[in-house]
Amino acid sequence: MTSDVAHRPAEPRTGTPVLEVAGLVRRFGDLTAVGGVSFHIAPGETYGLLGPNGAGKTTTISMVAGLLAADDGEVRVAGRRMGPREVEPKRLLGLVPQELAIYPELSARENLLFFGRLNGLGGAELRQRTAEVLELIGLADRAKGPTKEFSGGMKRRLNIGIGLLHRPELLILDEPTVGVDPQSRNAILESVEALSTEGMAVLYTTHYMEEAERLCDRIGIIDAGTIQAEGTREELIRIIGELDEIRLVGSGNLTAAATALEALDAVDRAVVEGREILLHVRDAPTAVAAVVTTAGRSGMELSDVEISRPDLESVFLHLTGKALRD
Amino acid sequence: MRQLLTIVGNDLRQRVRDRSVLIFGIVVPVALMFVMNLVFGDTDEVELGDVTVAASVADDDELGQALVGTLTRIEGLDVTVDRVAADEVRPRAEAGDAQLGIIVPTGFGDAVTRGEGATVDLVEGDGAGLETDVLVSVVRGVTEQMTAGTVAAGAAAAAGLPPEQLGAIAQQVAEAPPAVTTVEGTTATEQLDASAALVAGQAGLFLLFTVGFGVLSLINEREQGTLARLRSMPMRPGLIVTAKALAGYVLGVVATLVLLAAGTLLFDVDFGSPLVVLVLVLSVVAAATSLTFVVVRVARTSEQAGVAQSIIAVVLGMAGGAFFPVAASGAAAGILDLNPVAAFTRALGVSAGGGGLGDVTGPLLTMLGFAVVLAVVSRLVPDRGVAA
Repeated sequence: MTSDVAHRPAEPRTGTPVLEVAGLVRRFGDLTAVGGVSFHIAPGETYGLLGPNGAGKTTTISMVAGLLAADDGEVRVAGRRMGPREVEPKRLLGLVPQELAIYPELSARENLLFFGRLNGLGGAELRQRTAEVLELIGLADRAKGPTKEFSGGMKRRLNIGIGLLHRPELLILDEPTVGVDPQSRNAILESVEALSTEGMAVLYTTHYMEEAERLCDRIGIIDAGTIQAEGTREELIRIIGELDEIRLVGSGNLTAAATALEALDAVDRAVVEGREILLHVRDAPTAVAAVVTTAGRSGMELSDVEISRPDLESVFLHLTGKALRD
Repeated sequence: MRQLLTIVGNDLRQRVRDRSVLIFGIVVPVALMFVMNLVFGDTDEVELGDVTVAASVADDDELGQALVGTLTRIEGLDVTVDRVAADEVRPRAEAGDAQLGIIVPTGFGDAVTRGEGATVDLVEGDGAGLETDVLVSVVRGVTEQMTAGTVAAGAAAAAGLPPEQLGAIAQQVAEAPPAVTTVEGTTATEQLDASAALVAGQAGLFLLFTVGFGVLSLINEREQGTLARLRSMPMRPGLIVTAKALAGYVLGVVATLVLLAAGTLLFDVDFGSPLVVLVLVLSVVAAATSLTFVVVRVARTSEQAGVAQSIIAVVLGMAGGAFFPVAASGAAAGILDLNPVAAFTRALGVSAGGGGLGDVTGPLLTMLGFAVVLAVVSRLVPDRGVAA
C-alpha cells in the first residue's frame, strides 16, 4: 500500500533545496534495491529515511553521496548533479557511514586533520575547526590517544565529528547509533539536534522509530526500495487516521462519566470496560486535563490515567503490513 | 597534489606506526640474510690444504724435473715434493702419505725431445681431494704443452730436417708461452657470490611483502569503511588508487635500498654503481607494485590478499634466488627470465661486476615490461572485492 503523499514529494519549505533526489533507481542483477526514490531536503531541515534493514536506505545514501552510480534518476546537491566522478558537489556534503570510518592507528585529532585536509581545510582554520569539533563530540580530553583504544561510543562520536568537520551544507548520517550504548546514543542524538539549529541540512537513516520521531522534521518511510509515505510525523499519522487513546481507571459512576466525557470536543468515543473508560481522543496531551476534570465532576474516582498515541511503528505496520524490526 | 600527498603521508604514518613494515620489510629479511649467510654464505670460498707429492724422476732429466718442479709453484697451494724411487710411489700414495704419486719414466726428456712421446704415471693417493684434482690438472696442462713439442718435432722430422735440430724445435715449443690466453670475465659474465646473491634475493623477496603493506591497505580501507568516506571526498576517483600505489612504491624503494645497504655493510657485499643499483630498485619496485594491484583486484578480503601476496612473494623470491641459486634450461629458463626478482638479482650481478646501465638493459626491460603489462591487467580484471 502506497500513500498519496509518497507519489508527489512536497515542495521545499524554505529556499532552494540542499538535496534533490528524483526517480532514483539502482539494480543489482535481478534485484532492484532502489526503485524510483524521490525526496528533497531544505536548508536546516532534518530528513529521516525510516525503514527496516534491507529496505534500500544505504543504497540510496550511497547514490546521494556519489559512491554509487544510479541506473536511473538523478541526485542534485545545491543544484549540482552528483555522481561517483563528480568533485564539486562532494565539497558540500559530509558523510557518516554506518561502518566506523576512522583509522585505528591514528588519534582522534589526526583523523580529523587528515579528513579535514582532504576536504580542503588547512592551516589555522583546520586547527581551529578540529578543536571545535573535538569539543562538540566530547573527545577534547582524548584527542591524542589512538582511536583503537576508544570505546564503541567514542568511535561513533568521532565518526560523526569527521563528517561535520568542514561544515557541510548536507550531512548524511547512515544509522549512526547502531551498536551504541544508551548514553552515547543520547549524546549522538543531541549532537544531531544541534546541527539543524546551525542551518545544516541532515539526511538521517535509521530503523529506530524513536530516533526518527525525535530528530526529523520530515520522514520518508522506505520499504522494498521505494518510499511508501513521506511527511511530518503528524502528517504520516494522519495517513492512517488513528486517534490517541486515554485510559481512565477508577471507581464510581463510570457510565455517567463516560457520557460526560463523550460530550467533550476532543473526545470522539468513550467506552466503559469494567473499571476502566477507554477514550478515543484527538491530541491527547492537550485534552487530558479537561478529561480528568470532567471525569471527576461526573462522580468518578480516578486511580490511574494512561495516554497512548499512534506512532510511526503503527504507520509502518499500516503501510507495509509488517513491523519495522521484521 | 595536496590531497595525493595527504593520503600518501597518512598511509606511511600508519605503516610506520603499526611497525609492520619495519618488522617484515627490514628486520626479518636482515635476520634471514644473517642466518642464511652463516649457512650458505661460504660455500663458494674453498680453502685448499697442504699437499704432499711422491715423485720419481731422474736427476738428469731436465724436462722431467721441470714437470715436477711446476707443482711447487702453484699459487694458493702449498705442495711438498718427496723424491722417491719409482717402486715407492704407489705404496706411498696408497698409504695416504702422499696425495699424488708421479712416476716420470727414465728417458722421458730425451723421448719428448726426439718427438717420440712418453707416458707419465699418476697415482691418486688415498683420501685424495680437491688438491689432488688441482695437481692432476696442472700435470696434464704441462704434459699437453710438452706433447705439442713432440708433435712439432715429429712434423719437423717428417719434413726432412736434420735430427740435431729436432730436439731444439721440441724444446722451443714445450717452453713457448701459450698462444691463447684467457682473462677473468667482467660485467655481463659476472655473477654474484653466495653472500651477495642471498642479500639481493632476500631484498627481492621481501620487497613484495613491503609493497603489499602499502597497496593492500586499499582492501583494509574497504573493510574498515574508510574507503567509502574517502570516495565521498571532493577528489578525482583515481586519486585514491594512485596514492596507494605511491605509498607502496615509496615503502618498497626505501626498504629495498635499506636492505641492500645493510647487506653491503654487514656482509661486505659490493653491488657496484649506486646509480645502476638505484635504477634497478626503482624498476623492480614498479614491477612489484603492479603485481600487487592485480592481487588487490582478485582478492575479496584482506586475508585472501595477504595469503596470495605471500605465495607470490615466496614463489618469485625462490625462483629469483632468494634462498639458493636457481638455474633452468629450455622453456623453464624462458619463464624464469620473466621473473622480475630474478631479473633484479641478475642485473645486480652485472652491476657488481662493474656493469653500467647499458649492460643491464635486458633485465631492466624485463622488470619495466612486467610492470606495464600487470598494470594493464589490473585495470582489466574485475574487482572481486567490490563485487562481493
